[in-house]
Amino acid sequence: MSVLIILLLPLIATALVCLPFKRFWAPSVTVVSSVAVLVLAARVAWLTSSGGSITSDLKIGMLKWIAVDGLSALILLLISFVATTASIYSIGYMAHGNITAGKLRLYYANYNLFVFSMLAIPVLAEPTLVWIVVELTTLCSALLVSFENTREALEAAWKYVVLSLMGAGMALFGFLVLFAAMQASGSTGAYTWSSLVAAAPLMPSVLLQTAFLLILIGLGTKVGLVPMHTWLPDAHSQAPSPVCALLSGIETTAILYVILRLFPVMQAAPNSHAETWAMVLGLISVGTAAFILLQVRDYKRMFAFSTVEHMGIILTAVGLGVSVAGYSAMMQIVSHCVTKSFCFFAAGAVLLTVDTRQIASVRGLIRKSPIAGAALVFGGLAITGAPPFAVFLSEFSILKAGLVQKEYLVTALLAIFIVIAFFGIMLHINRMVFGTRENGETETNSNHLSENENGKKSHLPFSCRLALIIAAIPVLVLGFYIPQPLQDLLTQAAAVLTKQTP
Amino acid sequence: MSESTNQLLDNLNALAVGLFLLTAFGIVAMRQARGVLNLFIVQSLLLAASAALLGMRHQTEHLYGVALVNLISKPIIVPWLLRKTSPSEIYTRREVTQVLNIPTALLIALALAILSYFLAQPLLKAVAPEFRGPNVPIGIAGLLIGAFTITVRREALPLLIGLLVMENGAFLTGISISRNLPLLVELAIATDGLVIVFIMGVLTRAVQKQIGTTAVGELATLKEAPFEPTESEPTK
Amino acid sequence: MFNHILFNLIQVAVVMIFAPLASGVLARMKEFVQSKRGPSIFQPYRDLWKFFHKDEIVSEDSSWIFRFTPYIVFVTPIFVALLIPVLTNYPLFFAFMGDMIGGGFILSLGGFFATLAAIDTANPYGPIGASRTRMVGFLAEPVFMIVFFTVSFVAGSTIPYIVQETWVTPLANFFMPSHVLLVLAFLMLILAEGGRIPVDNPTGHFELAMIDESKSLEYSGRGFALMKWGGYMKTFVLMCIFLNVLVTPWGLAGDTTLGAVLLAIPKVLLKIFCFLLVLVVIESSLSKLRLFRIAEFLGAAFITSVAAMIAQIFLPSLK
Repeated sequence: MSVLIILLLPLIATALVCLPFKRFWAPSVTVVSSVAVLVLAARVAWLTSSGGSITSDLKIGMLKWIAVDGLSALILLLISFVATTASIYSIGYMAHGNITAGKLRLYYANYNLFVFSMLAIPVLAEPTLVWIVVELTTLCSALLVSFENTREALEAAWKYVVLSLMGAGMALFGFLVLFAAMQASGSTGAYTWSSLVAAAPLMPSVLLQTAFLLILIGLGTKVGLVPMHTWLPDAHSQAPSPVCALLSGIETTAILYVILRLFPVMQAAPNSHAETWAMVLGLISVGTAAFILLQVRDYKRMFAFSTVEHMGIILTAVGLGVSVAGYSAMMQIVSHCVTKSFCFFAAGAVLLTVDTRQIASVRGLIRKSPIAGAALVFGGLAITGAPPFAVFLSEFSILKAGLVQKEYLVTALLAIFIVIAFFGIMLHINRMVFGTRENGETETNSNHLSENENGKKSHLPFSCRLALIIAAIPVLVLGFYIPQPLQDLLTQAAAVLTKQTP
Repeated sequence: MSESTNQLLDNLNALAVGLFLLTAFGIVAMRQARGVLNLFIVQSLLLAASAALLGMRHQTEHLYGVALVNLISKPIIVPWLLRKTSPSEIYTRREVTQVLNIPTALLIALALAILSYFLAQPLLKAVAPEFRGPNVPIGIAGLLIGAFTITVRREALPLLIGLLVMENGAFLTGISISRNLPLLVELAIATDGLVIVFIMGVLTRAVQKQIGTTAVGELATLKEAPFEPTESEPTK
Repeated sequence: MFNHILFNLIQVAVVMIFAPLASGVLARMKEFVQSKRGPSIFQPYRDLWKFFHKDEIVSEDSSWIFRFTPYIVFVTPIFVALLIPVLTNYPLFFAFMGDMIGGGFILSLGGFFATLAAIDTANPYGPIGASRTRMVGFLAEPVFMIVFFTVSFVAGSTIPYIVQETWVTPLANFFMPSHVLLVLAFLMLILAEGGRIPVDNPTGHFELAMIDESKSLEYSGRGFALMKWGGYMKTFVLMCIFLNVLVTPWGLAGDTTLGAVLLAIPKVLLKIFCFLLVLVVIESSLSKLRLFRIAEFLGAAFITSVAAMIAQIFLPSLK
């Protein structure tokens, strides 16, 4: 029942925010519904962390395909967490530009719809329905990406929609072939993830392989795997920062979840090369992202490429062997999600302070806005895997799993790429936060927040600061201590990936 | 059903599918946006016809439902949605210069069609004989040609139609090898197509307001290369 | 055997006699569509009569090619008429002399000489039109080849009579995708080779825009009449191939009596009349293509024919 409410709440919120009340109505409704979803998702996660899955009581229409197990609950929890922090952040961020009340309502309506579509991904068990919801995420976020209506934002939104839909078209084909494979295996169950695993040993391998490849490449376009990633830096940098946090932090991971759902199926089928493909694609993504990070000129694009890198790391981890690296991959998912959303909040704070996205234009941020500067350093260190943050733990365990599996080349390459990315990001952030300009201190003119010239400390809105703090807590805490319920959940999620029989 | 009726239905289905391929070629090559839209409508009608014919041939009633859904959503609702959301200018656009000239684009599309036949062979060998038919290779061809259309066209409407052609191609395969998918799912996929049209129409309108034309191929400024200096770039 | 020779000659006579009529009917219907009255359908006959009785003027700088070409252009469609099914659906005496590819070559022989003759005089418009005709010709060649190959693949032979039999028995064969696509491709070919809109304007007088008409620019008197009649017969022969072999292979005489053959004449004329209606609709609703767009038009015909070939060759191997 909670699952149904989790899905219904954002829809109700969408309807409510469209009512033309006062300006604070829409943000408040969104925050309230996000917090409620978070509480319910935590409850669902609690219930599934001991094993077993939740299905809906009403079995009519599409509801009969709702099934939440450990992996789904993890993703659900993460989505609701980022949605909450981003909605808090949006209060302050969106209050800033001179947006009309109507446009604000549009933003929140889109926001809630987008959250709804993301929440529906882990909850549905029928692959084609999941595909439909994946398309919905693209479409709901398209208008969010182009929200600022500049030429670059529109270009980013256009590329995003076209490339994602192209990938989704391929993935649809893959899902249909998968269904044909299931039919050819003689299974009589409904078309769900679990019955796919059951039917996998009997499926004709050519159909299964084709379907897997198509889905990997098709949905990989939305995940941001190289070479289909070209839309990602644009879309994830041109959108408003809270939306970027949603997109980078959790949406790409949710799509990756769909791909991960295929891995138990591929494992149950004889001689599939799924893990090799995952490793190769993952490594290519990490490597390309790491090298491009050295030469980005826009700090939001920098974080976007970091997302590409982390998606590659997760995929490589799964490719290393689900039984060995499954737990680490789940931990990486969690740590990346909380850290990346924090990074984009920090980037948004910087944008509010200096009003430019160019790295070369930002110097000495720590003097202009200590909070933004500190947040940026914090986020940069966290996302590149410096200790003592969460990402360090998960990346370390992935590398360890790689050594256990005796995949020395892969592990070495992964380590090298991570180090290169570290250098790239920290170089840029260092210059931005602590550097001085070459020709002395020349102020940028249109400065959103500072009242005086001469670099007086500027004020971020309270809600932005609050969101930054809330988001920072897991980033730091998870580096030291993972609470037991969360550990159980992670173990359950990894178990879903490795299970051979339902 | 008698053998000769079966053969007639098979041939008619093969005809519908063959004309489907032809419309895909036309969409790659046609200059005028309105012509591309008309070809897409014809293609959707052919898809519905193929679904109905397969339903008759294999006695699968819910394929009739699929045919009906396709008949209503694509030829009727898609143009209506486009008229509501996108600027009326997109109908009058012609691509005078192309990324690739038209005969080359047609030849590449032809090569893709031949490639899809070879790609379909192993797939067809793996399914039961009653699922085999011309739908699968032409569906793959539709997918590939749709993707190719997206890369070579620079106007908004043909790009959108290319996306929908990809979906049509996947659908065409689906009605032959994944016939028994629940009708609800097919209905949802069709609705999804409509949402795509809606969103892209709105985006096109926004693009046209911003850059004054719907030639979205001209939007190509975001890259890692040095930007033109904006007001916030320091002067060195 | 005597019957067969007789029927062959009747066939040729039909082609010779009724070709100008087809052209006259087409012209009248086009005018009709435009709400005009149009010339009489027998006007081409009167024109031919007039030209045969006029003086012929031949340039001094032209060679024997110029003098011979009208005869060649007149005779080549007659040869082809011997080879194709016009009235009967069983092979006649000369039927195995050449197949469809041979027929195609004979027709292009006429075109070749016409092109040379156009360049032969010193008229500047001649070579312009000749080069354009050649361009259309060589762009149409691949389409011809693929159409013939696909058709012969289906029927196992390139003799038109044998091909025609394959399409007639079971009705389902009519709807084979390769068949319909071939029909479309061949229709586009007829438009190109016959010099009709959208490739060329057959009633235009503007020499700078002429493609096919330019071959008869310099001729007068008897030569001109022969060129025109040859042109009518070429179009008629192409239509016969199209209708009797590809589209509607019915209504041809089945048995070897004279009565059946004579009865087939009005049926064939009816089929041609229906096709002329289609042609009128096409001609009245399209406009002439710009010169370099003709390559795209014929490219589309090529793609259609290759799609037909794909449908024919690859599809059955999937079963």
